[in-house]
Amino acid sequence: MSAPSLHRRLALQQGLAIPQQLARLPGWAILVLWTAAVLLPLYILVVSCFKTTAEIYDNRLGLPQSFAFDNFVRAWTRADLGQNFINSLIVTGGAVILTIVVSAMAAYPLSRYRLGWNGIMLGLFLSGIMLPIRLASVELFTLMRSLGLLDSLTGLILVYSAIRIPFAVFIFANFMRVLPSELDEAARMDGAGEARILFQIVLPMVKPAVSIVAIFTAIAVWNDFFFPLIFIFDDRYKTVPLAISVFVGQFRTDWGLVFASLAISMAPILIMYCLLARQIREGVGAGGGMK
Amino acid sequence: MQRMTKLRRTTSLQRTQQRMAVLFILPALAVYGLFVLYPLLLSLWGSFFTWKGLRMQEFAGLANFSRLFVFPSGARLYGALWHNVAWFFGIMVLQNGLGLLFAWLLFLRSRGAAFFQSVFFFPAVLSPVIVGALWRLLLAPGGIVEWTLNGLGLHQGSLTVLGNSHTALGMLIAVDAWNWMGLPVLIYTAGLRQISPQVFEAAKLDGAGNARMLYSVALPLLMPALGTLTTLSFINTFNQFDIVYVMQGVQGNPSYSTDTLVTYFYRLAFGAEGAVGITDIGLALALGTMLFLILSFGTLLMLRFFDKRTVEL
Repeated sequence: MSAPSLHRRLALQQGLAIPQQLARLPGWAILVLWTAAVLLPLYILVVSCFKTTAEIYDNRLGLPQSFAFDNFVRAWTRADLGQNFINSLIVTGGAVILTIVVSAMAAYPLSRYRLGWNGIMLGLFLSGIMLPIRLASVELFTLMRSLGLLDSLTGLILVYSAIRIPFAVFIFANFMRVLPSELDEAARMDGAGEARILFQIVLPMVKPAVSIVAIFTAIAVWNDFFFPLIFIFDDRYKTVPLAISVFVGQFRTDWGLVFASLAISMAPILIMYCLLARQIREGVGAGGGMK
Repeated sequence: MQRMTKLRRTTSLQRTQQRMAVLFILPALAVYGLFVLYPLLLSLWGSFFTWKGLRMQEFAGLANFSRLFVFPSGARLYGALWHNVAWFFGIMVLQNGLGLLFAWLLFLRSRGAAFFQSVFFFPAVLSPVIVGALWRLLLAPGGIVEWTLNGLGLHQGSLTVLGNSHTALGMLIAVDAWNWMGLPVLIYTAGLRQISPQVFEAAKLDGAGNARMLYSVALPLLMPALGTLTTLSFINTFNQFDIVYVMQGVQGNPSYSTDTLVTYFYRLAFGAEGAVGITDIGLALALGTMLFLILSFGTLLMLRFFDKRTVEL
């Protein structure tokens, strides 16, 4: 019996009598209530973007008088969000690619060769999943300074990759371990090199792992605020969350402007979420690999 | 003869594999080692030394640690520690408790689970900076929450929950729970769907109601999920920084009532503690080491605790 059929069957049994339908109303009410708790703040955010601060006070819940993009234009130009967006894209893209490539490379021998030291090495990587790296930020700062990686997007890419590698190795190793061993043996007989076996045969077979790692690395890196706060001082290299935090403090009374800047920085994540909601739900349910 | 060549082939294959393995693992190990393991080990080591600015001076034994617990640091430390503990229990109830209720309600319903899950999880993909800034505006005096409460007659005058040292911490915990509510919902639902349907049917035949089934049947079988969530919440709570920084500033305003261990660490390490704002690296590293120990032992204890209580069917 497959799992999804269970709650359907339970529901069917319960759904027969009308009193039982009524008994389910409080449950629905609770679910709808939390949906409202999530969506109402976001609704307020969206409509406030189009209002002046005076209008926000006068007309709290209603739609704006006109859909003027004044606040968006001001937020975009005053905060130089365009540059911040490019920085965030570079850092996120770079960290995702670097993390996937080096983690897949490490996970391949660790999960498929018999080395005698697989266990120890895997353990060393996996311990990093729970290491509180923020506490090392003083020494990390000194290290980055001596490497000339302060105020540098490359520096952020390296740090984020280092932080995300343990989780990625864990996911890749789990997926690669269960592939049949004939797979690489046959390729080896045909004279394929190990690099080719990994990138042309093994990696395409663990696409779900690649997408889990890519999605969760992207979310974590795009949203992070702590490391740019420590390593980035020059406005030209600020990422979106750092720029937003500065902006919000600076223009705290100009509500329309702040709401608009929040909406702009939220937009790419919202689009990604709408496209990938199912993969994200399944990824979290399977591995809990968030945060 | 044939066996000899075969043997030779395997040993040569193993030798190639050993070499290839080193080559393949090296890039990941280098990045991870250099930017995570090395600074972390150095930080633990450095907490036993005196510091002048960012320069390590001489071995000081446990001097940094004893300074951490006495005036003027002691009050900050105990305050922040207490806030982190309260935060953890608040999240366990507000987020992981309510989340269980939501997951159970979704599990009992044949329709709408995917929709509700997607909505509930959406705030979790947003940066805590955005979430914090959004709620700061909503909860501000004159903001929408004040207007709503006043309109409903539940409150009068200006709403100052974020400026009040008795309520600010609770508000931040609630915002954090709002942010991450989707996580327990997804993890519990995945756990519930793994439970064999016969278990629930048997309980139903025995006349168990929904509440009874959740408490006596589902919950014991959800121990792995609960363990994952408790551990994750513990780690995240004791790393809490972003929401405090964005909503209440790095001092944990008002008057340190929302200060956490990591905001205190940040001030010590990067210079915003006290009126003059000088750094105290020795103290920062000692705090870091202490936090590291709390997190490591706490996580291990929790994993063991839930491992023992895992029921196999």
